[in-house]
Amino acid sequence: MADQDIKIVSFLCNWCSYGAADLAGVSRMEYPADIRVIRIPCSGRMSPKFILSAFREGADAVWVSG
Amino acid sequence: MNTCINKIRELALELLDKKEVEKVIGFANGTIPLATSPIAITSKQDIEKLVFNSTCGLNLANYLRDQKGKIAVIAKGCDTRNIVTHIVENQIKRDQLFIIGVPCNGMIDQFKIAALFNDEIIEFSEDGDTLNIKSSLKEEKLYKKDYLRENCKVCMHKNPVIYDVLAMDLVEEQTLDNPYPDVDKIEAMDSDKKWQHFQDLTKNCIRCYACKNACPLCYCPTCFVDESSPQWVGKGQNKTDVNTFHYLRAFHCAGRCTDCGACVQACPMDINVRDFTRKLNKDSFEMFGWEAGLDITKRPPLDAYSPDDPDDFIK
Amino acid sequence: MGNLFEHMGIERDRIHFSWISSAEATKFVDVVKEISDKVRALGPNKKLVKDYN
Repeated sequence: MADQDIKIVSFLCNWCSYGAADLAGVSRMEYPADIRVIRIPCSGRMSPKFILSAFREGADAVWVSG
Repeated sequence: MNTCINKIRELALELLDKKEVEKVIGFANGTIPLATSPIAITSKQDIEKLVFNSTCGLNLANYLRDQKGKIAVIAKGCDTRNIVTHIVENQIKRDQLFIIGVPCNGMIDQFKIAALFNDEIIEFSEDGDTLNIKSSLKEEKLYKKDYLRENCKVCMHKNPVIYDVLAMDLVEEQTLDNPYPDVDKIEAMDSDKKWQHFQDLTKNCIRCYACKNACPLCYCPTCFVDESSPQWVGKGQNKTDVNTFHYLRAFHCAGRCTDCGACVQACPMDINVRDFTRKLNKDSFEMFGWEAGLDITKRPPLDAYSPDDPDDFIK
Repeated sequence: MGNLFEHMGIERDRIHFSWISSAEATKFVDVVKEISDKVRALGPNKKLVKDYN
């Protein structure tokens, strides 16, 4: 199971988690490469449609982070 | 119920006579027995068309939007809750409405009754708690309580919550220890069983959208199912599309659904669409202590922020 | 939404919500690891995926 290819569609707020992801990258931290990041201008941009849409297109999980 | 129609007609006549309202929205006999359809009455000679019986299960709050003048509406308990929701959501102003409240003893499930007959039902009348139903082969006297719609069985707001005048005396409300036994049953299943349950539930869906058209909550100018760029959901009978439609429709009703049962009544395939919305009703009650459409001054839970909101799902 | 999904039979761990400040790179890494582990335990998602064929 461990080497299985999974996709986690991640909706990250530009100002919060996206910044954190950027910082993590700049700091050369290591983390699993399973996430596919979608930058949203604010968590308020999030809509339940996006989550359903992600699953429909084959996401294994969805992560929304502000 | 038979007596209140006279009162309704009397009130409607008076309102139209004095020109207090432009029209009266109520129920008229449909083209077949066991079905009533909504009607807007503007002139006095049409008053006789108004009826009210145990088949008036549709929700008249659905016909109140985008109205200019003052209108009167005949409203059951659940209808008034949807009227409150409309007022809270700025779809209509309170002073535009004259609400004729009708305390309701529940509506009957036409599918359950039709299942008793092999041929078409040609006549329906009711007398108190007895339903007289006739087809060309047989005639039956049924007890109304046995044929109530599922949502009416668990209804705890039979009396109108907001009204200008009542058409009959208030009825006794029932109190239930657990208003959500159906939700509990599904919650007890494991993931795959639940999935299967909803797959089976929607397998007959023909995507006619009768549920969303009958629902007073569904008033977006363009529904997400009709949006084409991006297209959120396909048009066909694809299982995923059917499920996506039902999920999102249900989610849009979160914290707003009054469990009026219009969606189930409108469904031509006898799908219990309420299975989707009931869970959200239960959640909003348990998490926010909220039941939709009870108070004209309160904002719905998904529309308001409070520091006490449950947030344990956030890491 | 998570509750509704769970009710419909989609596993609870397939949908996550979190709050991370832009300065919390370590928390970000932790959360990614945690989510990744949980989803790996569940395996690939087969429900609600649209089959275009």
